[in-house]
This record gives sequence, C-alpha cells and structure tokens, in this order.
Amino acid sequence: MRLSAKMVTLGLVGLLGLAVVGFVLVVLFISWFSNPPFGLGNAPPQPVAFPHTIHAGAPEEGGMGIQCEFCHRNVTRGAEATVPAVEQCLFCHEQVAGRTATAKAEIAKFRDNPDGIQPINWERVHRLPDHVRFIHEAHVRFFTQGDTPDRQLEVAQVCSKCHGDVASMTEVQPMKGQSLKMGTCLDCHRENSVPTDCTVCHK
Amino acid sequence: MADQRFDHKWGMVVDLDRCTGCQACVVACQSENNIPINTKDLFLQRRAYEWIRVERYWEGEFPNVKARFIPIMCQHCENAPCEPVCPVYATYHNDEGLNVQVYNRCVGTRYCANNCPYQVRFFNYWEPVWPERMRNHLNSDVTVRSRGIMEKCSFCIQRIRRAELKVEQQERAVLDYPTMKKRNFLPACVSACPTNALTFADQSDTTGPVNRYFKALDDHEGGESAPRAYRLIEEVGTKPNVIYLKKVDKYPLKNGGGHG
Repeated sequence: MRLSAKMVTLGLVGLLGLAVVGFVLVVLFISWFSNPPFGLGNAPPQPVAFPHTIHAGAPEEGGMGIQCEFCHRNVTRGAEATVPAVEQCLFCHEQVAGRTATAKAEIAKFRDNPDGIQPINWERVHRLPDHVRFIHEAHVRFFTQGDTPDRQLEVAQVCSKCHGDVASMTEVQPMKGQSLKMGTCLDCHRENSVPTDCTVCHK
Repeated sequence: MADQRFDHKWGMVVDLDRCTGCQACVVACQSENNIPINTKDLFLQRRAYEWIRVERYWEGEFPNVKARFIPIMCQHCENAPCEPVCPVYATYHNDEGLNVQVYNRCVGTRYCANNCPYQVRFFNYWEPVWPERMRNHLNSDVTVRSRGIMEKCSFCIQRIRRAELKVEQQERAVLDYPTMKKRNFLPACVSACPTNALTFADQSDTTGPVNRYFKALDDHEGGESAPRAYRLIEEVGTKPNVIYLKKVDKYPLKNGGGHG
C-alpha cells in the first residue's frame, strides 16, 4: 500500500500528540512522586560531610546527644531554624580534631583552612516554596508551651514530627519519614484544631 | 473548627473629604506588595498593575475646575462576583471578611477579573522583572507572582499575620483585637496616608472607628447616623467591606457640577 501525503501528515500529527501527552504524564509523575520536583529531594552532597548521628545521636549509640536547638539556635526564636556559623562549630572543634582519618580530614576542611575561617557553603536540603510562610518558632512554641502533656514536648521531639529522626541519619534526607507536602501540614493542623485557612500559611 | 484565631472582621473606610490625591498609598502599595514597575508601555496596553489606584475626575469647565479623587482598591465584597466564577477556588472569602487570592492555586483563567465590577484584579501577562539593583528591595513576606497568575489587593494580609505572630511570640499575650491594636497591622496604604483618609479596623469592634459606618449601611439607616457613607456600585449588591465617605464641598462651583 502506498502512503498518501495525507496519511503521512496524520501519522506525524498523531505521533506528535502522543509525545506531548507522554511528556505531560511524565512531568506529572515526577512532580507528584519527587519532593521537591525533579529529584531535588535527595540529599545533596555537602561541602563538609556532617554526620548528625555523631552530633545529635543518643550517647548509648555513640553519639554526643547534643540538642537540636544548640546548633539550630534560631528555631525557638524566629522563622528560620538557621544553620550555625563556623564559629559555633569551632566552639567544640577548636579542641576536637576527630578520631578517624575521615573525620580528621572533614574537620580540617574548616578548622585548618589556609585562608582563615571561612563560612561553609552548605547545600540546602529543605526548600520552602516562595508562596509558603513557615515559622519554626510558632510551631515549636505550640508543642512545647501548651497546657496538655502532648503539647509539653522537648524541642527535639517537636523537630522529629516533621523532619523525622534526624539523629539517626548520616545524611539528612527530606523525604525520610515525611513528604513535607501540603497534605502533611494540613493533617497536623486538623489533628491539633488549628486554623486551616489558606492565608495562615500561604502569602 | 473555627478558622479565626480571634473574633473579628476587617473593614476599611475611605474618607474622600480628606483625600488629596497625593498617591502615597499607591507608592506604598507598590513597594510593600512586590508589584512590578509600571512602565508607559504597560499603561498604554492597559496592563499596568495598581492594587490601589487614585482615580481623578474633573468637575466643571476649564479654567473653573475642581479635581476630585477617589482611591480604589479591592473592595473585599461579601458577595464577591469574582469568587463563584473561579473554576479552581483560587479566590474565596475567608472568616476575617477578606477576599483571598491563592496564587499557587490560580490557573489564570481571568474569569474573576472579567467579572469584577471594580477593575481591581490584575493578570500577569508576562514574567515580572525588576531592575537588577531593585532585586533586594522585594518584600520577602509577599510572593512574587509569576506569569499567568491573577493578583489583587490582599489588605496586606502579611502585616496582619506578622502582628498576630508578634502578639503571641513577644508578648505571650492572648490574641484578640485589643492586643492586636497595639501592633501595626495596618495595610501599607493606610499607614502611608498623610491625611488619614484611609481607616482600617475591626468592623465588629463597637468602639472602633469603622463600626458605626458598617452598622449604619447594613441597617439601612445611612441618612441619620452616617449621612456621607456609601459603597461603590452599591446597586449590584456586592456588599463591599470598604465604605466611602463622600466629599463635602463647602464652595461648590457656580455653574459646574457632575463629573467632567
């Protein structure tokens, strides 16, 4: 059978349509199952391999048991939990050089920097969209200074409600435990009978 | 479950007798709400963004003229025509009496703008751009709206939320209107107005500055207790949460009158 020009055109249009629909489906699939979209949700490589297991882990498991708010100081004061300044790291690491060879190498990266003490360019793990207002302080206050026992938690317990058990993560992964999508926020807001009006979080 | 943190309903009263048309509210709004810079091109295309605009009318014949000004922002209607036409519920009425636009929900059908009798909704036909040196001027409390999004006055909801947070965080006080009043929760236009032509307060606060006007208009007794109060395009029944007080002209034009 000979292909007429019309049939070829129709076939090409059909193929193009299929490609478009396929592309849309792939985009929807990726944006639904990855958080944030396009694979940014995986733990990015950090300039200094910081193990939360050693710093925040329980003492009986070989950790230091440091409280979350000791380093993330702003978490009980403002919107951002904040990453500490290098000076805060040196508060301990002035004396602590590390036990293993890898630990020594990682600590030396910022402690014995030939250019002096330089800020560490951490890669962002949790990325809040532009249209969301999230205040760490308000959430920590809600769960630590309430009237009922379930609202008189330790700060670390409040952190793990959304961030998961960070103390057991060598690399902090946003998707571990919670997806941190809007549904996660709403579930908790409904559970605790706090407002769910759009303008409470969206700006 | 109540969506309100405390019992209140916002309302605004615009006293046209005090408005001098200085445009301070317009400038304040532009800088507070990350509104793109209006160029001549945008005005010519009728695509300029002005969440609040000062309309100017001439009364009388030149040279015997008087200028009349009326600032117009989103009226936050109780029966808002923009709300039922939105297919994705991106605009809705919340418990505080505000007409809310949810930017991340908006898909840009523009039905709301076409249905708005006040022309206060603006569509982002293009990605907004600012000169490089102005990037750091953007207000981080307000979303930068991208292309294809409808936007409008929000009564500076970010300032209300910030005031609420401060009451609870710094004073550890119970959140209610008396404690809120001590904080600056006023929209940018209201705090910028040099003649206090704009008043923003809780409508339900009986001792407040706006309550009596809303009460008078809602009870249809305007003639007695609030003779100057009216709402814009009242006849379409949108029931705005913004009330205008008409100008009192002590020296009217001899042969003038009417809008020029």
